[in-house]
Formats: sequence, structure tokens, C-alpha cells
Amino acid sequence: MKKRAREAPDDLPFEEALAQLEKIVQRLEGGDLPLEESLKLYEEGVRLSRACGHRLEAAERRIEILERARDGSLRQMPLAIDSGEE
Amino acid sequence: MSLPAGDPQRRVFSVSEINRVSRLLLEDSFTDIWIEGEVSNLRVPSSGHLYFALKDAQAEIAAVMFRSQAALLKFRPENGLQVTVNGRISLYEPRGLYQISVQWMEPRGRGALYLAFEQLKQKLAAEGLFEAARKRPIPALPRRVGIVTSPSGAALRDILRVLERRHAGVSVLLAPARVQGEGAAQEIAEAIGLLNGVPDLDVLIVGRGGGSIEDLWPFNEEVVARAVAASRLPVISAVGHEIDVTIADWVADLRAPTPSAAAEMVVASRQEMLDRVAGLTRRLEQALRLRAARARSVLDRLRAAADPARVRERLQRVYQRLDELRLRGARAAAHALELAHARWRAAHDRLQPGLRRERLQRNQASVAEQARRLAAGARRLLERARTRHAEAARALQSLSPLQVLERGYALCVDPRSGALVRAWNQVQQGAAVEVRLGRGSLDVEVRDRRPPAGAEPGDDRMEDA
Repeated sequence: MKKRAREAPDDLPFEEALAQLEKIVQRLEGGDLPLEESLKLYEEGVRLSRACGHRLEAAERRIEILERARDGSLRQMPLAIDSGEE
Repeated sequence: MSLPAGDPQRRVFSVSEINRVSRLLLEDSFTDIWIEGEVSNLRVPSSGHLYFALKDAQAEIAAVMFRSQAALLKFRPENGLQVTVNGRISLYEPRGLYQISVQWMEPRGRGALYLAFEQLKQKLAAEGLFEAARKRPIPALPRRVGIVTSPSGAALRDILRVLERRHAGVSVLLAPARVQGEGAAQEIAEAIGLLNGVPDLDVLIVGRGGGSIEDLWPFNEEVVARAVAASRLPVISAVGHEIDVTIADWVADLRAPTPSAAAEMVVASRQEMLDRVAGLTRRLEQALRLRAARARSVLDRLRAAADPARVRERLQRVYQRLDELRLRGARAAAHALELAHARWRAAHDRLQPGLRRERLQRNQASVAEQARRLAAGARRLLERARTRHAEAARALQSLSPLQVLERGYALCVDPRSGALVRAWNQVQQGAAVEVRLGRGSLDVEVRDRRPPAGAEPGDDRMEDA
């Protein structure tokens, strides 16, 4: 899990990425880390921050409706809405 | 209790006490009771609490229903309405007013429906479906929200409008369901089940807009409650308006007062997340910048310390400083010495008269001491003289011829010359001599003279010596 996190923060659930980012910031702010480790942590923090950012910016705004086809199977279809006078 | 006045056993209550004690007694005895009666004398002040009386043909009881409870009612109480109320008997202490504090009220005609609601609520509560521990957190950043409501209802439009307005990057998948009337509960439950089968959903919103109690009724049915409880995805309930609370609301992980509010909750958490990530990123950079700055300053210090020219320069500075200090030290010492001397002089001069007086006194004392010692010495000398004199006197005594005479010797003296007669030929036969004895003397006439035996006859030189 941890290894995966290091390789591809984008695959992490958002909450987990955020929690890891928080932990890294706290450790970095705690000071007293060797410079090299600080740099490593920073890089990982930046990756996580970017991943969180991507997830937040991902502006996919599909609006769909579950429809039952004739054969009984379900399909997800774009939903057209009357922009709502009432 | 006819104890005489002043009896220590007589318990006297204050009015406040008796009201309080009575209130506790009443509240303990009638905690959860149902009363049937007619609403009369209803007053609704701005506080929102309901004040009224419940009465039947013979009697009445004061009743109060506080705003928080009244808000849960699906209908509006009116004078003359036959109702069944649930609550506890209490006592309003300031006025000693005995009353029922109403928790729940239902019109008599629909009593059965409400009872069913209550019974279901109690049953599900007993199963623990309402417990806070069961509530799952709403994901911080839902990417796709499943919605169970009517495609033509106000609820869907409200939700989409909020998402639009907030520019939220949230996708929506609607599972259509009728939300009122016969069979609606079944459809809602089914839609919840269907959405739980869709892989990329994060959270569900289940609800509808406001309406009559009958309109909202499907959300009070067990099949919906069970579907919400069984949902794999966290459920936000959004039924009716603020005051409408359904069983579905109790079971849901989060209750939104309205569908719009449900959408706000989803979006608000996204905004909150944006802020949090931005804040964390800022702190991340700041922490590293700080760490780098520290490292750089350490490096600078080390580099500066390692540069030979700098080292020499620093050493020179140190030496210079040393010299300076040494110089200053010497000067300071000399100055201090001078100062000290001057002060000593000043002090000494100021002391002079006193000093002289003191010396005089010291001299006088010394003279007295010398005199004393002199006297003592003199005494000792005198003593010694006296002793010697006594010894001499004794010695003298022993040498005195008188002393010898005392032992029986005698002295013979020529009375004419006063000379001692030592030899036979110093006097003539027939001459008179004086014989001095230890005590007194004798005048004696020399009858005969005899030279010492063996002496030559002419040996009279001694007489002339």
C-alpha cells in the first residue's frame, strides 16, 4: 500500500492522499530532519498535493440517469433537464 | 402529621421546595403517557412554544409543547381538534402550575398512522439503526453522486442548481423513483439498491421536496428505512422542508433539511478540501524553504570557518582584541592603583588628629605599663638584695669573733694599745691584760709567760708584725 502510494499517488483515495500530505507537512514542520530526508519528504508532499489538486480540479460534470432497457438491463444515459421554470 | 409547633420532626417546606419536590414526584411518576382530549385556549407566542389546554367533558389540564417538539408535527394544532398527545406530567415551578409537557401530538383521526410511525421508529431504534456509531462519514470529495428522487420533481432541480452555481466538479447519476403515492416506497428502496451496484459512486442523496404528511409518507416506511440502512454507500437524506423529519432521516448517515442543503453539504466539503490542500501545500513549501535556509546558513558558517584567510583574519582579530584588553587592563590597573592611593592619602589626612590623640593615649598607657614593670623590677631587685643581705649577715655573724668567744674562746687584748695579744712575748710579766670573753671581760695580771714548746728563745718577731 505504502509502496503503491509512493509510485502513484493518483491512485490513492483522496482522503488517504490528504492524510499522508498532512503527516508529511507535520514532519517537515517538526524540523530536525536531515536535509536529504526533508527533500524526499517534500517531493512526496508535492506529488500528493498535486494528486489532491487534480482530484479537486477534475471538473467532470456528467449528469446521467439510470435507464432500464427493453431487455431489462440498466444503462446510464445523459439526462436532459428543463432548466426549471417550476 | 399533627406534630406540635416547634417539634424538631416537623418538616417545613418553602414554596419553592414543595414545588420542586412535587415536580420531581410528578415527573418521575408520569414520564411517558398518552392523553386523549380536545385542544382549547391555544396560544402561540413568538417564542414558537405552544400553550393550550386539553379537556374533556368534565376536566382540563394545562399543556405546553416546546418549539423543538412542535416543529416535528406534520399538522397544525387548532382549537377544538381532538388529539392524542404523548408527554410527561410536569409542574411549572414559578406558578405551581401543573401541566403536561407534550412531546408528540397526533390528530385522533390519523392516530393509527402515527402510531405505526412511532412503532417503526421504536423498532428500528431498538435495532440500533439510528445510532451515531453507525453513521458513516460523508466522503470529503465525492466525485459522483447518486440521487434517488423523481426526475420531474423540484428536489432534482434544486440539487442541480446548487451544483451548477458552485461550479462543483461533481457528476450526478439519477436513479428515478416516484416519491409519493402507492408503491413509491418500493421504488425508492429499489433505486437505492441499484445505485449501490454502480461502481464509481461516492455518496447518495435520497429525498424529495416538501409536501403534505401523506406525500412524505413513503420515507416513513420500513422498506425505505431498510434500504437506507443496508446501503453500501453513505446516504444523505433530504426529505421535505426543515420541519419534516422522517424515518429515512433517522436512518441516514447525514440528514439534510432540504435537497438544496444536501447539495450544499456535498459542495461545501469540496471547497473545504480545496482550502485544506492549498493550506497544506503552502505549509509544505514554507517548511522546506525554512529547512533549506537553515541548511544554507549552516553551510555559510562552515565555509566561512574553513577559509584560511578568514581564519587568519579572525585569529588576528582575536590577538588584537587580546592586546587591546591587556593594554586596557594595565592602564586600568595603574589608574585604579593611583585612585586607591589618593583615597588612602585623603583618608589618612583626615585621620591625622585622631591618630595623634590615639598615639598619645597609647603612649600614656605604655608609660603606665613601663612604670608598673619598673616597680615590679625594683621590687624584685630589693627582694634579691634583701636576701643577699640576710645571707651576708648570716655569714658575717658566723665570722664574728664574738661568735667564737661564744663558743668558749677568749681574746686577750693589751689594754694600752688595744692590740690583740697573740704571742707570749707581747706582754711583760706582771703586766695587766684584758681578757674578753663571750659574755663580759676580765682584767688579768700576767703571772708567768711561757713560750710555745720547741720555740726558739729569741723568736719574738711576731710582736713587731
